Amino acid sequence: MSRSPDTLRPRGGILFVLIALSILIIACKDSKQDQIATTTGAEHLDTPSADTATHTMDRYGIGTVADAATIAGWDIDVRPDGLGLPAGEGSVEDGEEIYDEKCASCHGTFGEGEKRWPKLSGGMGTLTLERPDKTVGSYWPYASTLWDYIYRAMPFTAPQSLTVDEAYAVTAYVLNLNDLVEDDFVLDQDNLATIEMPNKDGFYVDDRPDTQNRRCMQNCVDPETRVIAEVISGITPTDHFKADGNLGLAFTETPPAQSESNALSEIAQRGQSIYATACQVCHDSGVGGAPLLGSAEQWASRISQGREKLYQNALQGYQGESGFMPAKGGRSDLSDEDVKAAIEFMLESSQ
Amino acid sequence: MAWFTRSTERQLLGLLAKESEQLGVSERRRFLKNALTMLGASATLSAVPGTLANSNLPPAVPTWTRSLGRGVVSDPYGKPSSFESDVVRRTVPWLTADSISSISMTPLQDLKGIITPNGLVFERYHAGVPDINPDEHRLILHGLVERPLIFTMDDLQRFPSVSEIKFLECPANGGMEWKGPQMEGLQFTHGMISCCEWSGVRLSTLLAEAGVKPEGKWVLAEGADGAAMARSIPMEKALNDALVVYAQNGEALRPEQGYPLRLLNPGWEGNTSIKWLRRLEVGDEPWYMREETSKYTDLMPDGRARKFSFVQECNSVITSPCPEKPMKVPGFYELEGLAWSGHGKITGVDVSFDGGVNWQTARLKGLVLSKALTRFSLPFTWEGQPMLLQSRAVDETGYVQPTLSQLREQRGGNSIYHKNAIHTWRLNSDGSVNNVQVT
Repeated sequence: MSRSPDTLRPRGGILFVLIALSILIIACKDSKQDQIATTTGAEHLDTPSADTATHTMDRYGIGTVADAATIAGWDIDVRPDGLGLPAGEGSVEDGEEIYDEKCASCHGTFGEGEKRWPKLSGGMGTLTLERPDKTVGSYWPYASTLWDYIYRAMPFTAPQSLTVDEAYAVTAYVLNLNDLVEDDFVLDQDNLATIEMPNKDGFYVDDRPDTQNRRCMQNCVDPETRVIAEVISGITPTDHFKADGNLGLAFTETPPAQSESNALSEIAQRGQSIYATACQVCHDSGVGGAPLLGSAEQWASRISQGREKLYQNALQGYQGESGFMPAKGGRSDLSDEDVKAAIEFMLESSQ
Repeated sequence: MAWFTRSTERQLLGLLAKESEQLGVSERRRFLKNALTMLGASATLSAVPGTLANSNLPPAVPTWTRSLGRGVVSDPYGKPSSFESDVVRRTVPWLTADSISSISMTPLQDLKGIITPNGLVFERYHAGVPDINPDEHRLILHGLVERPLIFTMDDLQRFPSVSEIKFLECPANGGMEWKGPQMEGLQFTHGMISCCEWSGVRLSTLLAEAGVKPEGKWVLAEGADGAAMARSIPMEKALNDALVVYAQNGEALRPEQGYPLRLLNPGWEGNTSIKWLRRLEVGDEPWYMREETSKYTDLMPDGRARKFSFVQECNSVITSPCPEKPMKVPGFYELEGLAWSGHGKITGVDVSFDGGVNWQTARLKGLVLSKALTRFSLPFTWEGQPMLLQSRAVDETGYVQPTLSQLREQRGGNSIYHKNAIHTWRLNSDGSVNNVQVT
């Protein structure tokens, strides 16, 4: 909001204060304001008085009316009753193909989950066990959530890249991995809401507070019966405050590769930022058999076939015994030059 | 190791300093540092006046007094002193599959007062931080409203604004500690919390502008990030104290915090305060998004789970001493800590030095605001004895922060979120501090 230079002059300033005061007076008489004050209760006490002015008018006339077409482009949410589902369909069979190409590298061929990526299937009957497996089949209450999330945010490296039909197909396949639909099942906008998830009744609305501690001040517990559990050592990053500290890399199978930017060629430096947004997810963790950044050994076998072959696999995709590489890492928005720069970065960082 | 008296310590250091006089400055510094470590002595080099010939300590005149410093705008956006390079957000590398969908923690051990500096506010992303051009950012408000509206950032800044100090906490704060103490520092046991002054528009103002239809009971908030992170917010909260903010601590939101626009639900699970806010849809029922079914639901021992567990209940922790800030010498200390409640104001904090047997009431320090971090303090003298330090906060609803046993009795060990139990630090006789659990 730009302020007129006039308001900076003393006379304008006084006028401004008078207007502000009159707005406050009007606000105090506003019945709508009273209503809001009642619902907010004690919390309203610490809100600044200036905000009472926000309720002096029903409308400020700010903003533009949004037409249906504008809203439609962003309105992607789907509810358990099927509201919001677009017209379309997808089969388990088609879903399997898409899943193997775009999902399996993180979620596992059968939904078992690679590394720390989410497990999608199995886990039935484990919710009361010491180590519960909360999967789509064992935990998720509604199939609509699966469609919504796949369409909105998957695959992880290329969100909102699936077509409506592809989202139906992948949803159908993940349901199939959980034995919730048959192999020949075709999912569409009409039958999705009819699918009953095994754990649909497993949720209830928050009923806290669930503890009733009291403010005891003297002799509150018997020190003799107390049990003191010691902290696990070595899994927390402690190098910044302990002389014998560590980086907390426990459970990290491969330490992240260290690269010195200044030692990199110009093209590799450009590739470094592309790597961070397009390649890192798999090449830092080894998901899908991806050669790890910093592993000279793993990269040596790749480069032995020549750079052109390496480029070709990265640009067009590759599937073989050693692993799986989606075309351009699933990032079709990248130019060939971008991908080559990222490869250059990985090669130079892995010598 | 037994404590040296201060005078013995000073004599020893004096001898060492004399011994090392023929060494170069950096070698000498290293020599003295090693010697100090070997002795287990408590003083640091800077605390020993006159031990270094080329010292910046009195009576010597420091180098920075005998030279000129940097001029104005040599650093147009200022940064902390280079000596504060340890005061940074940190993560636990093994916690998540990838840093793009992960969390970092605020260094509570280094902060004063109740405001978290913008560069230290904890991060939580589900698909990384998008780089949004505010000129191309829009907020659409639609659904069960009289007038679906689309706002530019300029539009939003024309509405009357408010500024409020509120904490923001991830419900997984402390979640690694349900089954036992795992984290060796305060930053990792409690650092998924920050507190800022947030500026923006009341969500109720925007809803009034669009005109909510009577059947509108829920608001879906959705982000513009790669996760299109979305959550269903009850209309009651939306009309009560929810804010749509574009600034934190006086400047535009940081990209990590949702630049250019985010929702802020005071006192609620941080993930409901949708960042990079692009869309608000009014509906008559919740949507059951992934982040309110698969995640952010609390699994109970009977195999069922709590849903819509929005409020961050009353919690507290002692921030000094803590594992990162051990005691260096016996003597006077001001024990300090932070308390907060998603239900309103903190009305009291008690501190125990003996693991919960006896308690003393601490003083609330500075601003005591609803749904904001509140600092508490209790002066005490430490004579080198081991202690079990605990804090217990009470909020304006009368709710008393529970013990770990009370929480586990209700929720078992698999609910991941909302662990707000009384926390214990063990202060050892050598001044070091460990995370322990007392049950």
